[in-house]
Amino acid sequence: MSTNAELSPGTQFVSSKATRTGVVRSVLGAGGQGTVYAVDLEGATFALKWYHEHYIDIDTGLRDRLANAVERGAPDGRFLWPLELVTIPGNPSFGYIMPVRAGHYVGMRDLIAPPPKRVELSLADRAKLCARIADSFLQLHARGFCYQDINFGNIFLDPATADILICDNDNVNVDGAPASIYGTRKFMAPEVVRREVLPSTQTDLFSMAVMFFYVIFGWHPLDGQQEANIKILDTDAENRLYGTQPVFIFDTVNNANAPVAGLHDALVYRWQSLNDELRDLFLQSFMQGLFNPGKRVLEYEWRSAFLKMSSAVYQCGQCGYENVAQSGGAAKCGYCGQDPAVPPLLKVDKNILTLDVSRPITSSMLSLMIEQPDPVVATVEAHPQHAHVLGLRNQSAETWRSEIPGYSATPIAPGKTLRLLHGSRIETAGGLLEVINPGDTPA
Amino acid sequence: MSERPPVPVITPGALARRRLHVMFALDCSGSMRGDRIASLNYAMRSALPELLSVAEDNPEVQVMVQVMRFDTVARWHIDEPTPIEEMEWIDLDAGGETAMGSALAQIGEALDSAEAGPRQLPPVIVLASDGYPTDDIDAGLEQFFSSAAATAATRIAIAIGSNTDLDTLERFMNSPEARLKPLRANNAPDLVKSIKWATTAPVKATSSPTNAPDVASQLALNAEQLEAPSSEVVW
Repeated sequence: MSTNAELSPGTQFVSSKATRTGVVRSVLGAGGQGTVYAVDLEGATFALKWYHEHYIDIDTGLRDRLANAVERGAPDGRFLWPLELVTIPGNPSFGYIMPVRAGHYVGMRDLIAPPPKRVELSLADRAKLCARIADSFLQLHARGFCYQDINFGNIFLDPATADILICDNDNVNVDGAPASIYGTRKFMAPEVVRREVLPSTQTDLFSMAVMFFYVIFGWHPLDGQQEANIKILDTDAENRLYGTQPVFIFDTVNNANAPVAGLHDALVYRWQSLNDELRDLFLQSFMQGLFNPGKRVLEYEWRSAFLKMSSAVYQCGQCGYENVAQSGGAAKCGYCGQDPAVPPLLKVDKNILTLDVSRPITSSMLSLMIEQPDPVVATVEAHPQHAHVLGLRNQSAETWRSEIPGYSATPIAPGKTLRLLHGSRIETAGGLLEVINPGDTPA
Repeated sequence: MSERPPVPVITPGALARRRLHVMFALDCSGSMRGDRIASLNYAMRSALPELLSVAEDNPEVQVMVQVMRFDTVARWHIDEPTPIEEMEWIDLDAGGETAMGSALAQIGEALDSAEAGPRQLPPVIVLASDGYPTDDIDAGLEQFFSSAAATAATRIAIAIGSNTDLDTLERFMNSPEARLKPLRANNAPDLVKSIKWATTAPVKATSSPTNAPDVASQLALNAEQLEAPSSEVVW
């Protein structure tokens, strides 16, 4: 196809801003809209997305959208954002350059791929991943942009750190402007599936909630009994499931699409293992939020819930399944149903932090903000002579003030360790902490 | 701290993935002998890795492949629905007549028995032929379309060379308002391109961003782009 002719290595291009000249090196990937190349521009390597000519004929708003995105700049460092528009003398098409995605990032869909391709992440890392996605889309939406097509294909993650990169930013548009695309199957909001509206920040919120459900459950929130009963999922059936008659698999009122025993057991275990706060956000998203876009959960609500969750995960002492701790109420493991032997907890304001010798407590875990840098402020350590007695070591630069039931107020200088006695309170620079550890009560 | 038990591995997606059956009906009659069957074998060899790669982009779906060959009789070349990850292409040979009717009837039966199995997406059926059916194509098409899965399927026909029964291929595709037309492969590169497209585009359509209301419309859009530059070289 002549219109899809690739740019050969060595082709020179001109960037729009400073009319700098760069050189095409190699193909990084190809898709329906264009081809992505590795290019050199004044000694640095960038990625160049070069559009097929037939695509720029269809997407008439593309050049203006990109020019606007370039001018406004990236919402944060996680977006592989268009940096400059690019042309080639004598070539009718155009493209843009963006930062290159590092090789250790993998696609989000690898989280649900069958083994051996599957990327395994701890529940705490999944929560961190979601908090970062929520944070980035908050930055994007706050600048008046909408993404239009949130799906597995355009978010990448670093399996070692749960950091994310957001790609394919060429659909990003000013919210309210005519959209260039409806979206991707199973991620579109019901009103978009029904073709009643075009994508907006409110439909982004729905797609983002679907993404979060996939990350935590490895499954789609609207795939329950109704979906399981459909032998051949044709277009009509899809429109019903995701457009005209969507029902959340964990809907608390309508059980038409409830989990099927034997098929959806894993989803039920995960649901039971979560804390009320996160369950409530999913219920709001996929009950009221299905038909009432104004009720959808906002980015900062998700961010806060996932940050709290990432510090509250622990493994059941009986079976090892990951659960999320919360204060109040007797805990049962979501998987085995046994008393999970909840580890010592720190209550920070209304939030819960699980304490574990292998996990240092950083500043962000107390503030529930995304912090860079994120210094360690405390660690959990066993008593040097009594291995079963745990304490909290002050790793910060400030002295803590502690109140231990039955004792006088005691300062805990930097480097000192306080036994995790049930009911103790600790005043730190990061806030007031309360120890919940019924296994170790003051004499 | 005491030793922890390992985290139980629970994998919902892998157990309950929907199947996507991709079925081929390939003409192995005498007129395919020589270059054409060699090109068809080459096209299938090169299409399968691409199909695997688009299947991996859609981890919620398990792609299963089955291949029917027809010459004087129609019989399965790859009988059991085979996961795309395990597919190895075995070359076809050519000789005899064109039992296309029987091939479609047997595919209809296979679709019916697959319907009793696990949940699936509408199947993809690719029919490639270079000639005119020599058996009862009316009966074959009737039996084929009596299967609900055949009616729901994405059906794509490839006309190899210039002496093909386009009417029959269009009846097989049965596209509303003839939005989708048989692909024309007049030379070896076109055949490779057509087979690759027919195999991968319907699978891709389930996981790619879209503006089209359904898979068929998406394919019609894409097919226009594929058809445009078709070569005039005859072989």
